[in-house]
Amino acid sequence: MKRRDFMISAAAAAAGMTVLPKMAFAEANRIDWYTSSDQNVLDFWTNIVKPKFEAANPGVTLNLVDGGDNAGLQAIAERAVAAMASKADPQADFFEGFDARQPAGALDAGLWVDFSTAGLSNYSKINPLALDIPQNLPYRGSQVLLAYDTTKLAPADVPKTFADLIAWIKANPGQFIYNRPNKGGSGGNFVRRAIYEANGKDPAKFTVGNYTKEAGDAALNPAWDILKDLASSLMDQGAYTSGNTQSIQLLGQSAVTMIPAWSDQALSAIKSGVLPETTGLVQLQDLGFPGGFARDTIPVNGLNKDAALKLADFILSEEIQSAVLTELGGFPGVSWDYVSSELREKFKDVIPASIPVFPGGDWEKAINESWYRNVAPNVDPAS
Amino acid sequence: MTLAAASDIVGASNKRRRPVGLLLVALPVLLVGWMVIYPIVAAVITTIWRPDANGRYGISFGTYQFFFSDGYSLANLSLTLWTTVLCAIFLVIICLPIALYLRFAKGRLAAYVQGLAIFPLFVPSIILSYAFIRVLGPNGMVDILLNAVHLPKIRSPYLTPWGPLIGLVWDNIPLTVLILIAGLGSVSDASIEAARDVGARSWQVLVHIILPRIGNSILVAVSFSVLGIFSAFTLPYVLGPAAPEMMGPFMQRTFRDLYDPPNAITQAVIAFLFCIVFGLFYVRSVVKNQRGR
Repeated sequence: MKRRDFMISAAAAAAGMTVLPKMAFAEANRIDWYTSSDQNVLDFWTNIVKPKFEAANPGVTLNLVDGGDNAGLQAIAERAVAAMASKADPQADFFEGFDARQPAGALDAGLWVDFSTAGLSNYSKINPLALDIPQNLPYRGSQVLLAYDTTKLAPADVPKTFADLIAWIKANPGQFIYNRPNKGGSGGNFVRRAIYEANGKDPAKFTVGNYTKEAGDAALNPAWDILKDLASSLMDQGAYTSGNTQSIQLLGQSAVTMIPAWSDQALSAIKSGVLPETTGLVQLQDLGFPGGFARDTIPVNGLNKDAALKLADFILSEEIQSAVLTELGGFPGVSWDYVSSELREKFKDVIPASIPVFPGGDWEKAINESWYRNVAPNVDPAS
Repeated sequence: MTLAAASDIVGASNKRRRPVGLLLVALPVLLVGWMVIYPIVAAVITTIWRPDANGRYGISFGTYQFFFSDGYSLANLSLTLWTTVLCAIFLVIICLPIALYLRFAKGRLAAYVQGLAIFPLFVPSIILSYAFIRVLGPNGMVDILLNAVHLPKIRSPYLTPWGPLIGLVWDNIPLTVLILIAGLGSVSDASIEAARDVGARSWQVLVHIILPRIGNSILVAVSFSVLGIFSAFTLPYVLGPAAPEMMGPFMQRTFRDLYDPPNAITQAVIAFLFCIVFGLFYVRSVVKNQRGR
């Protein structure tokens, strides 16, 4: 055989080998757990939840698998839908950071466990603000709040309402920056809070289905007026960072005094030293910045459904919910009455009276488009 | 057996070489056809063959009309052209002296300079972006150094069009230097010595001996960098201003955040048309080179 032919056949054989199916079966008493979340959440589960749960439930193990992102979990959920039709084993018991509305048709097919009737002892503790559809189990949340430099701004002088915040930004030009609304939730939810402000602070006015061109213009244009008016008082007379992290970096470099930030990201930045110990966090008291909850789902046909339900109950316990606050920097999924009073006192400035959730879909698209056309171009690039 | 095999190599292979050779290039050609040519054709068709108000498909230039009548889109295009042209100019100004130095200098210092010039090749642009914020951003390292000697802070290029420009120039230095050095290899020492012998000064050697021989390399280096810079994404995305934005982030935003594939594809086709001009420069110079041989 000539070398060239050999190379071709060897390469073909190697290529063929990689497409051989990998064999995997679900095991009894091993919960196959998939997440769409970032590394910090997987670390939280690996280092905190897994050892505690396995110690409390001898014989049951947790198999933590990083599903990549939402699309990765959807693919696994689609496999579970297919397995339901063929009465096969879906090889998945628990989805972390998922929405039971996905994949299309799964909810109608009855793929997901209804937690309200699943007999969880901790279900009643869930924060009513977090409840969505009963197939989604909220267990941790995060919300945008203000992070500020306490060496430049005394906690007593921190704005507590959106109107105060606007007044503070104008009185301290160049000391505030937020990121472009499509490039990260901290700036995105700052912009959405401005939209609430321009529309009577009423989150109920915005739903997934009620966007029309006219309603959009009527609701958004007054908000753009607020933000355009603000532009010249921002850092560099109207610069906008391109992500949550860059805003945190600017606060860390003391280039600005205050930014909007995700609660969990700000808390872990303080913990890891990216933001100094002197960083203060505060939530607006008239109407909080929007935020959201991470939700879990459990397929009804998983081999270890009962163990998975035990796990769902376990993560709502005070022990894990307190750890969500202290270790993950998130908000508990349960009402604040069910975390220790010591923690309640420590985090009292960031406890939200309300967690508005701004709808996605057409509203999101309209905000992403018209913010760029209306607010961003006021920047004089050469200034 | 061994004899037969050996005679096979000598004898029959001439007849068989051609199909095997074609087979070997078939895969890359198919890949180029499938993953490059086909998407281009499909993209152009998607933007032209569009449904009208009644849902009937027909030839329509609506998305192109929108792009070229929309001030916001045109501002993005002109910022991209501005960045690309300035980057190309800066690259030639910065890289030509480095390449000349590396061509003629010998010794350890030249090796260090070469290492330093090639270094950006190994730095991922996302790392470069964050390092840029640390160094040139507000209260970054430059500001700290200036402050230490009681000088005022700089006006940070971060979040202005100069941010991506500086980053892209730095990022493209290695490729440009390497291509220019390769081009300078065709300038023989003998011809330079001959010019010196008849009394040519350094700049005369540069203008009359070196530049005419490497004109082609400069063209290739510039068209290579321009192709990359025109559609750059990471650096303009992290370091650039919110508006106007360069075509890379603009396309991505239109596609992913506005859920508007027709307009995103239109922007891509327009970017492609600009890039093809520089691509043709490159192809022309390659063809010229091959004819020269």
